[in-house]
Amino acid sequence: MAPALLRVGFGLFIVFAALGVGLGWWGVVEAGRLTADPGNPLVLAAREAPRGEIIDARGVVLAESVKDGEGGFMRHYPHPEAEPLIGYLSPRFGASGLERSFGPELLGIGDGTGGGLLRKLRRDPYDEQDLLLSLDLRLQRRAMRLLRGERGAIVAIEPSTGRILAMASTPTYDPNAVVAPTTGAAYFQALLDRPEEDSALLDRATRGVYTPGSVLKMVTAVAGLGSDAITPQTVYPTQPAEEKTGMPVEGFRVRDGHHPQTGEEALALTDATAASCNIYFAHTGLNVGGEPFLDWGARLGFGAPIPFDVPTAASTLDGGDGFVDDVELANAAYGQGQAQATPLQMALVAAAIAERGSLMAPHVVDGLRAADGSIDRIEPSLWRQVIDRGRAESIARAMRAAVESRLGRPYAGKAKIPGVPTAGKSGTAELGGKGEPDSWFIGFAPANDPQIAVAVIIEGGGTGSEAAVPIGGELMGDWLALGP
Amino acid sequence: MLLLVGVVLMVGWVSLASTAAERPTLGDPRALLVLLAMLAVVHLVLTVDGRRRDQVLLPVVGLLMGLSVLLMSRLPQDHVIQRFGSLELPLASLQLLWIGLSLGIASFIAVGLRDDLVLRSYKYTWAVAGIVLLLLVFVLGDETNGARLTLHIGPFAGQPSELLKIILVVFLAAYLADNRALLAGQDSRLGPLRLPPLLYLLPMLLIWGLALATVVIQRDLGAALLFYGVFLLLLYVATQRRDLLALGVVLFIVGGVALYAFFPHVQERVQIWLDPFATAQGAGFQIVRGLYALGRGGVLGTGLGAGLPGVGGAPSIPAVHTDFVFAALGEELGLVGSLAILALYAVFAERGLRIAAGARDEFRTLLAAGLTLVIVVQAAIIVAGNAKLIPLTGITLPWIAYGGSSMLAGGIVLGLLLAVAVEDRPGAAAERIGWRERVGDAARAAAGRVERVVR
Repeated sequence: MAPALLRVGFGLFIVFAALGVGLGWWGVVEAGRLTADPGNPLVLAAREAPRGEIIDARGVVLAESVKDGEGGFMRHYPHPEAEPLIGYLSPRFGASGLERSFGPELLGIGDGTGGGLLRKLRRDPYDEQDLLLSLDLRLQRRAMRLLRGERGAIVAIEPSTGRILAMASTPTYDPNAVVAPTTGAAYFQALLDRPEEDSALLDRATRGVYTPGSVLKMVTAVAGLGSDAITPQTVYPTQPAEEKTGMPVEGFRVRDGHHPQTGEEALALTDATAASCNIYFAHTGLNVGGEPFLDWGARLGFGAPIPFDVPTAASTLDGGDGFVDDVELANAAYGQGQAQATPLQMALVAAAIAERGSLMAPHVVDGLRAADGSIDRIEPSLWRQVIDRGRAESIARAMRAAVESRLGRPYAGKAKIPGVPTAGKSGTAELGGKGEPDSWFIGFAPANDPQIAVAVIIEGGGTGSEAAVPIGGELMGDWLALGP
Repeated sequence: MLLLVGVVLMVGWVSLASTAAERPTLGDPRALLVLLAMLAVVHLVLTVDGRRRDQVLLPVVGLLMGLSVLLMSRLPQDHVIQRFGSLELPLASLQLLWIGLSLGIASFIAVGLRDDLVLRSYKYTWAVAGIVLLLLVFVLGDETNGARLTLHIGPFAGQPSELLKIILVVFLAAYLADNRALLAGQDSRLGPLRLPPLLYLLPMLLIWGLALATVVIQRDLGAALLFYGVFLLLLYVATQRRDLLALGVVLFIVGGVALYAFFPHVQERVQIWLDPFATAQGAGFQIVRGLYALGRGGVLGTGLGAGLPGVGGAPSIPAVHTDFVFAALGEELGLVGSLAILALYAVFAERGLRIAAGARDEFRTLLAAGLTLVIVVQAAIIVAGNAKLIPLTGITLPWIAYGGSSMLAGGIVLGLLLAVAVEDRPGAAAERIGWRERVGDAARAAAGRVERVVR
């Protein structure tokens, strides 16, 4: 029986080795992911532990831990204008925003391996880190002021790096009131009781999905030029007539007619952009084709949640189920139909064109600073090379014309920054007769060497030029005027 | 060897106490000292008994028991409280009690079992007694977590399945030993397979099958897996026939699939195993928490006493003192620690199989092998369950997890192995020095030392 015993012993050894490998899998390979998981009791249990600060680009503290008088710590938010991006941390109501998604880093338990190996030798597992943001509080304040508490959002991004300069959403809430021990519950309940469309907890900038209206035409332009369905000189000879009669698409008629000043002239890209011509872009969308249109949209980030430092909602061109017919495609091509976009997504569209075809990965966390002062920087990275420089330049020129040319001035002229070449596109998103349309604007400045790209939406703001356009221009102007 | 164990455990204790107090301190090491004292007593008894036997088993088991004491002391003490009349014993003390009883039984068996006839001749009686015990639980037992495992007699609660596994190993060892030659034969056929004469295979299969079925019906899937596995391995050891082993594996797969198809309870277990994070707040909660613990432990662990962040006063892993002791130790001692614990079981396995190989007759060989397997396979099953390598089952980690029945059964195993481990060499009888003389020798040696020093 001895040989059999030997074999059994050997078999056991194999089994134990397998167990060892399995344990190693969890203890080494997956350790980082497990420890950083928000559901990990380590994160949950540490709600009253001190965590790192959240700091804006110029060193202003946006969130900090203060003693709560009972031996623990609570969070204090000196500048609630940065909500809902910063979020809140409440032992009772959990965490949201950056406080949630960067909870493990703020607590200092982010990485379970590597440098963490040596850290394990220390008794204390907490190694708080500060979040260094690219957000500039001065710009953020301006953005909040410009929104005037109306329902809407502003996203401002630096096109060359993808750094978010401001991200505002209104209505918003006061996080200090949420975490206050005595009054927090009532305050939070009041927030929850608000009607959904008036929610103060929703981050409209990243998760508000809206019909984009004419600002989406820039996506159509990208798709049209990128797929070579059109060139900057392409015109549609039937377009002027269709302005009056409507453009027939499978029995449906695409209506336009809001730029009679162009008369009988068939418009090419620049003029069609400036005049915001529905017919032109409907034709272009049909020429590109449904599937290619979706592909080009995907290059810009449509179709899936944009990877970002807080959760985002996905924008879509087709509602997620494909273009059921040409009518839907044509309508989506000028920003109606089933197209839906978040302000962040439209800001990325502006940034991609501003950066002449290169879309940098959006991020608001610039780096993590450890207690010893060492900084772990998050370098800007190219997310997508959407189209080549030449084609992007044509679109950028068209957008500049939309703000500065005589044809474009009635629509986006109010975004013009005095003395600075400004580019942009207005949008008026019809909501099917339910009140005022949403007012949109996307743009970048200076047009030749962009420092900032924005997307602005004001729910029910009327036409683009009434609400969003002047806000966009003023914000961009403010940024350029701000010193370091 | 025991001294080494003692040192290791004391280091662990100091680490634990220091973490709790946040400064270097000795804490209150009474529990550990009691354990060390008990181990010393057992060693003394074995030495006095005079026969040469395996020197590694006791330290290995002692170290495992020590880990248990360390962990139980570290957990919130009100996890389990047993009342004996007016005496209330919290977790660590209770575990210590079980360990004490277990070591007592081990010593008793190790020294007292001179003659294995009792085990051997009444194999059927043992088997029947075991089944009766199992049925008793089935009828009279209490349901915990959907499985009827516990029997309450007065203030005591026990899990007879622990005892059953030993009884059945004894039975199997005896049966196989007696009928080994016949079983190795190939007289009957089942299709393309050449099986031993059915007449001889049947009683064994029947009794074993009965045990398995009852266990499955009672939903103690871990025990079922254990029994089946040990059965197959012992059969292989006895008959050397790989084809029977293969057949057994096939039957296992068939049985497993059938169980999965017919029992929603099994389906649920498999689902939880495949993706516990999907139900991380519900059914998958236990295993997810266990995995978090292993992740937190990393390579070096968080340090004894520093892990297991509690949420709302409760430890972060449910059933941390029974099903998930390994995960808890994995968190606090890290991968290094878990591998060390696995190594301890491996050493135990090596010793046990070596004892089996060197045993005096076939019955003892099979008995030792079976007992070793019962411990080691059980440990493997629960560690694999903790690490999500197989579905989680509710069996204990031998000698470490909390549980009176488990610890007592472990003590019996230890005792039996030590009994078998007696090295019988020619002329061994002459070496059986009486215990009185040994004490006298020891006393004289000590006195001689003192004399020399004083001089």
